[in-house]
This record gives sequence, C-alpha cells and structure tokens, in this order.
Amino acid sequence: MAPLLEVKGISVHFGGLAAVGNVSFGIEPGERLALIGPNGAGKTTLFNVLTGQLKPSAGSVYFKGQDITRASVFARTHLGMARSFQITSLFPYQTVRVNALIALQGTRKGRYNVVRGLMGDKQMQAAVQGLLESTDLWELREEVVSSLAYGQQRKLEIALSLASDPELLLLDEPSCGLTTAESADITTRIRDLGSKITVLMIAHDMDLVFGVAERVMLLHYGQIACVGTCDEIRANPMVRDIYMGTRKTFGSNG
Amino acid sequence: MSQALVTGLNGLSYSFILFLLAAGFSLTFGVMGVLNLAHGALFVFGAYVGLQVIETVNAFWLATISAAVALAVIGFLLYYLFLKRLYNKVPEQAVLTIGLSYMAANVIQWVWGPRAQITQAPEILTGALKVGGLSFPIYRVFICGVGLLVLALLWWIQDRTRWGAIIRAGMDNKEMTVSLGVNYGLVSTLVFLLGIALAGVAGILGAPITGVYPTMGDNLLLLTLIVVVVGGTGYIQGTMLGALVIGLLDTFGKAYVPKTALFFAYILFLIILLVRPSGLIGRKVF
Amino acid sequence: MGDSPRELPAGDTRVADGTATSLARKIPRSLVEIGLPVLVIAVIVLLLPLFIPSFVSSLVSKMMIYGLFGMSLNIIWGYAGIPSFGHAAFFGVGGYAAGILFLKVGISNFWLILLLAIVAAAVVAAILGFPAFRVFGVGAGAVNPIYFLLATIAFGEILSRVAIAVRPVTGGSTGLSGIKKLDLAGFGFRMTSGRYYYLVFFIVVVCLFVMYRVVNSHYGYALRGIHDNERRMQALGYNTWLYKYTSWIIAGVFGSVAGVLFAFFGSTMIPNNLAMVTSDIAFLLVIMGSTTTFFGPLVASVVYVGVEYLASLYLPDRWPLIFGAMFVFTIMVIPQGLGVFILKWWRRLFSGSPA
Repeated sequence: MAPLLEVKGISVHFGGLAAVGNVSFGIEPGERLALIGPNGAGKTTLFNVLTGQLKPSAGSVYFKGQDITRASVFARTHLGMARSFQITSLFPYQTVRVNALIALQGTRKGRYNVVRGLMGDKQMQAAVQGLLESTDLWELREEVVSSLAYGQQRKLEIALSLASDPELLLLDEPSCGLTTAESADITTRIRDLGSKITVLMIAHDMDLVFGVAERVMLLHYGQIACVGTCDEIRANPMVRDIYMGTRKTFGSNG
Repeated sequence: MSQALVTGLNGLSYSFILFLLAAGFSLTFGVMGVLNLAHGALFVFGAYVGLQVIETVNAFWLATISAAVALAVIGFLLYYLFLKRLYNKVPEQAVLTIGLSYMAANVIQWVWGPRAQITQAPEILTGALKVGGLSFPIYRVFICGVGLLVLALLWWIQDRTRWGAIIRAGMDNKEMTVSLGVNYGLVSTLVFLLGIALAGVAGILGAPITGVYPTMGDNLLLLTLIVVVVGGTGYIQGTMLGALVIGLLDTFGKAYVPKTALFFAYILFLIILLVRPSGLIGRKVF
Repeated sequence: MGDSPRELPAGDTRVADGTATSLARKIPRSLVEIGLPVLVIAVIVLLLPLFIPSFVSSLVSKMMIYGLFGMSLNIIWGYAGIPSFGHAAFFGVGGYAAGILFLKVGISNFWLILLLAIVAAAVVAAILGFPAFRVFGVGAGAVNPIYFLLATIAFGEILSRVAIAVRPVTGGSTGLSGIKKLDLAGFGFRMTSGRYYYLVFFIVVVCLFVMYRVVNSHYGYALRGIHDNERRMQALGYNTWLYKYTSWIIAGVFGSVAGVLFAFFGSTMIPNNLAMVTSDIAFLLVIMGSTTTFFGPLVASVVYVGVEYLASLYLPDRWPLIFGAMFVFTIMVIPQGLGVFILKWWRRLFSGSPA
C-alpha cells in the first residue's frame, strides 16, 4: 500500500547548523509511529516541517501522494492532517463549547459565513456535543478554559486536533506535564482512536510510546538512528546508549 | 551642481537631527520594550527648555545640557509613574503616550504661547564656511559633527562594551539575561534615559534651523517612526542609514519638487514594508 | 500584540455568549438581557428631540456617529485583536467621498452617495491591507508590533497629505465645506438638522445590527479565535490572513459610513479628518469603552462628546490637554473600560447576585 505520508530527504539548516539532515521515512495508513530522541535531536524541527510551520532547506513531503512541502499550515489541515501542541494551545478566554465550535468549523464551509450566528447553529452544536462526548469533556462544556485543570486542558488540546476529522494526527508530546494517571488515560485514548486515524507522535514518556506505537523511530543529531517495533527498540543497545548518555531516566517532561 | 552641495549639507544636518530622534526612539523601544509615541512631544519640550535657558542666561551649551537633563528626569518619572505598570502591553503604551503628547503640546502652548520661536545659534557657530564659490553655514556643519559624535559613541557602546553585549542579550531573551546575574535593570534604565535625553539634545540643536512651535512634535514623530522602519530596528547603523535616506530624500525633494516632496518619505516607507519588512539593516524580527 | 485587559472574564460578552445557564435558557436570555435595554434606549433616543433643545439633539447625533466610528474600529481591535492606529483613513475617505460626490460630481441622491462612499472606502482598505498585513504576522511577538502601528498611523497621514495636495478635488488644506444635508428622494420631505437626527439614528441602528450579526456569526467567532491564538487557528484550517484582511475591510466600510454621516452632519471635511488626530478619537473610544464589549465604544462616545462639549464651553484652549488626559486616565484608572462596568452592573441587576 502507498504510504499516507512520505518524507523524502528532508534537511533543515539553521545558519550553518543542520538541525535535521537528510531524513526519509513513510507512514502507512492506520499506523502508529512514535518519534523519540534526546533533547535537541531535531524532533520538533522535523515535526514543524511536517505541520508546515517550517519550510525545509531540502527534500520534500508527500501526503496522500501529493507534494505538500510548500503547502501552508491551514491547507494541510484541509487535506486531512491535524496537529496538537506541546505547549497547550487553546482559546483560554472562551468556554470549552466555544473552543470546540471554533475547532469544528475550521474545515467546514460555513466558516466564512458573516450572517449566521454560530451559537444558535443546531448542526454545529450537535457536532460539538459529539466531539466533547467522545472526549469526555461534555460535562465541562460551559467552563472557561483558563479555569480548567491542566489535565483537562491537555484533553481538550487533543480534542481540538480531532475536530477536523483528520486522517493523519500529529501529536507533539501529548502527555507533556501530566501525572502518571492522567498520562495513562491519554495513552488509552490515543490507542482507542480507531484504525481510520494514522498517528505520528513525538514523545518522551516511554509508557506512552510503548503503549501506543507500533513502530518507533529514534532521531539522533538530526538523523534517523534506528527504526523498529517496540520490542526491537527496547532491545536495541544503541537506544539505551543514546538515551542513557543524555538522560538519567525516561522522564516524561519536555 | 554647486547648489546641490549646499542642499546636501542641509539634508545631512537634517538627517542627523532625525538620527538623534530615531536613535533615542529605538533605544527606548529596543531596550525597555517601551513604545514611546510621546518622543516627538519630548523633543519639543527639550527645545523649549533650552530656549528658556538661552533667554535667561544666554548660554547655548548650558541650554543643551539642561534640555538633556530635564528630559532624562521626565523620562524617569514617565517610566516609574506610568510605563512600569504597562510592561509588555504595547497598544496600551501607545495609547498612554499619545495622550501624554497631546497634554504636553497643550501645556507647552499654555506656558510659552502658540507662536513659533526662533533662536540664534551661538556666535561662534554663526557665519559660513567659504569653499570655492560656495558658502556652507557653520552651524549645520556643527550639527553634523555632533551627530557623528553621538553615532560613534552609540556604535562603540553597541559593539565594543559590556553594556552593548548586555543590551543585545536582553533584546534576545530578557529573562535569560536577568537570570545570568547581570544587572539588566540598571543598564536598561540608563540606556532608556539616554534615549530620551537624546530627544532633548536634538530639540535644542535643531531649534536654530527648524524653529520651534508647540505642535511640531507630531510631524517629527512621524518622520522618526519612518526612519526606524526604513532603517530597521536593533542596529545603530540601520537607524543612521534610515535617517540619511529620509533626511536627504526630504530635503532634496523639497528643494527640487516641493509639491510632491511630502510623499517621498511615505512612499519609500510603504515600499520598504512590502519588500523588506525588517528594514534596510535590521535584525529579523521573526 | 499585547492583549487587551482581560482580568474580568465575567464581564466579557465573548465569554458570556457561551455561558447560557439552565435558567437563562428557559427565558431567552438575549430577549431580556439584550433586547430590553436596546429597545428602551432606542425609544428614548427616538423621542428625545421632542423634549430637548436642538443643540442637545445635535450632540446626540454626534454621539451616535462617533459611537459607530468607535465600534467599527472595535471589530478589528476588540474581536480580531488588530490594533489599527489609522482608522480615520476610512472615516475620512468616506466623508471626503461624500463631499466630493456632492460638491464636485453633483450627485444629490443620499443613498447613492452613501453607496459610492462605501465602495471607495472598501477599495482603499483593500489596497492598504496588503502592506499592513505584510507586517502583522502570527502569534505574539512574531512581528515587531511597532511596525503595524507605524504602518497604520502612516496610512492616515499619507491620505491627509494627499487631501492637502490634490487641491482642486479636495479643497486643499481648508478642505471641503458646504456639504448640505440632502433630501431623501422618495421620502418626500426636506432634510433639516432635526430630521437628519432620525436619518443618523436609522443608519447607525442598521449598522449596529449588521455589525452585531457579523461578530456573532461563524466568521465573527473565527476572529475571536485569531485574537486569542492565531497559530492554533491556522492548525485548525483557518486562512487567518484572509480573515484579518477581510475584517480590516469590513471595519473600514463601517468607519466610512460614520464618515459620510459626519460629513453631512458638520457640512465640512478637513484633512485632519483623515489624520492621526481623528484616529486618536476612535481608539480613545475603543479603549475607554472597552475592547471586550460590543457596545463599549458607544458608551465612551457619549462620555467623549459630552466632555468635548463642556470643554468647548468653558475651557476651549485647554481641549488638547483634556483630550490627552482622557487617554491617560482611561489606561491608568479604568483599563478594562466603561463597557465592562456597565455590563457587570446590568448583570447584577438582572440576576440579583454579584456578577
């Protein structure tokens, strides 16, 4: 089967420094791929190239066979990609409901409608209910986001990424800053997303990685050091060297 | 051709006045993150303080120092009474300082009257240098000299001193610089005051050639802002280049095509925004 | 850009719109809480000229015109988070277009003039929007915020210089005068100052209604989202540039309507109506009224026109001092704006409990 996302020879240079050097890989539809690596390995840079925040110095990115290397952030979302943010990125002064409404209409035709009221739109409200119920946030729908607990904000962070009904979900440290219990909850939620959604995620939290991923890719000094299944990665001595050399534990902080 | 040389000197001296204003403005913005739209009003106030001193004791040099000191004091009050509470709120700072400039212009008019005041340059600096068949007013040469001196001083501070390093580091990452144990607060406050004092120096230096009237601040502020954008923020050489371009463009424009000259600065400004939003020599603001 | 004051989410209509409590859903909240005061104020304003001397009703006309001017700026400042400092450009283009069409072109149909002035302002906004949003990028601090401020200030100044320079058309530095109030074709009566009051009322009410619909529409909520978090909006699929650009044009159009009303109201247009002095009025209204309420600038406009009138009676020479002091007072003492106070007070009255 053709890969859903194909990365060919991506390099990113900052000044003279190569943050990512000639990286190529592909993701099959329905696959769960985790991107790991020590701090400064180039994970976030690579991620930003995939989401369109950053244009690579060389190489190209294909999504569903289409070259999206130069496509804008919002155009990628319309093609079927969605992302979450490592640093929670919500609409803090709005309620959970309004957050969901704004997220849901981002890829819908009505988003340019200047006449029709958003709050009174029954179809949109039904969609909001669907989204919030499936992510267990419905009870909190009238809460202002800035007043929510951090764990709930992280949940909403992922819920907003799901609003566009993406085929490919790019998650940036989804469990960043969460307690063990909350992190386990997020792990289950991502695992249960269903096979229609392909997932690529950056993660430090190894419980999350091994709980979700089918394949793990280790990035080191901007290059792919190794790729394998969870078991292969666990057994690979190089992974231990790279990780142990830079970090004492497989901590969960960013 | 000979006329062009004289116009060139006029343009150059005007450029240096603009440079003093724009450098002061950039310093306050770059170092303290303060968008001081009252900078033009401060220029005018400095000029009037200077004029008052000249009228009382007839000492141009003392007037220049008084203008600088008076503005530094005002800058200090401005910061501690108002701007400190508006840290990082740029639109709010803009609203505050716009309000203050209206107030300042009106108070100046109240105290000194609405009419334009003309002052003479000190006697040593009157007269003209005769080169070939041309005569260059000494006072304008003097302004260029002072301007060059300030440019050299600021350039030296920027590139060669510890202060310059601290300021540059602070512009990149304030928290980090503070956490390195550097007394960023002291350095930035002094540089902020220096920036405002420069407006006073510009005011009194410019008085003999531009004349002084209460509402002149608006127009000068606008030109200052254009100089900052055209030159780019973050480097003193950018500000100088911007001031040169705008000063010469304006002066030559007025000399040769007085009707359309008004627009030259604005049109250049728009072109720069479209083509090179970070200015001619500016740090990338992204 | 720096955020507008947000300490009071309870007083924020944009939050409140989503917080329909179970009680409020039984009685449509909008009907009592919004409809009632709107209706009462509308009736009062309509009946006012019967009881007050004509100079007071002309002040009320001015309040309505400035209120519209401030609220049009609030569409981009308060909702989309774009603090434009050159809004007078659109006010002035609208007013000048009206004056030129009447005096130089010889059109005497008010509605046609209004329509053409709106088109003129929209075209100007569409052109200026390109350089403006070249320097207004994504997220806080992405682009030096000063650049956008400067660009917008410069727009107004450039246009006012154009107005001074193109003397045969615009009247040069003395501007246009003798823009007479026009009879409304088909309505069969002569336009007087007294009747102009009702025309202003009618047009302002229509504009407020349309603006209210816009800011609460799908599009309007997208603007709120861009204000709060532009980066996320892009990730959600929004072409945020297009939203900012179009909202800038929409705000310009409503600003130009205020300008047209103003031109016929005072029967003159001067270059300063395009310049910073006039832009400053608009953002004083927005800041004083509050960026977080829809009606705030209208309230501020009542205060502003009142103060301006009193100053013209007692302290005409000190007006700039008072004008400037209003900025300073607002930003240092009531940074959240009058609109928020009124909203809180009204909520308390309505619900019987502290807001």
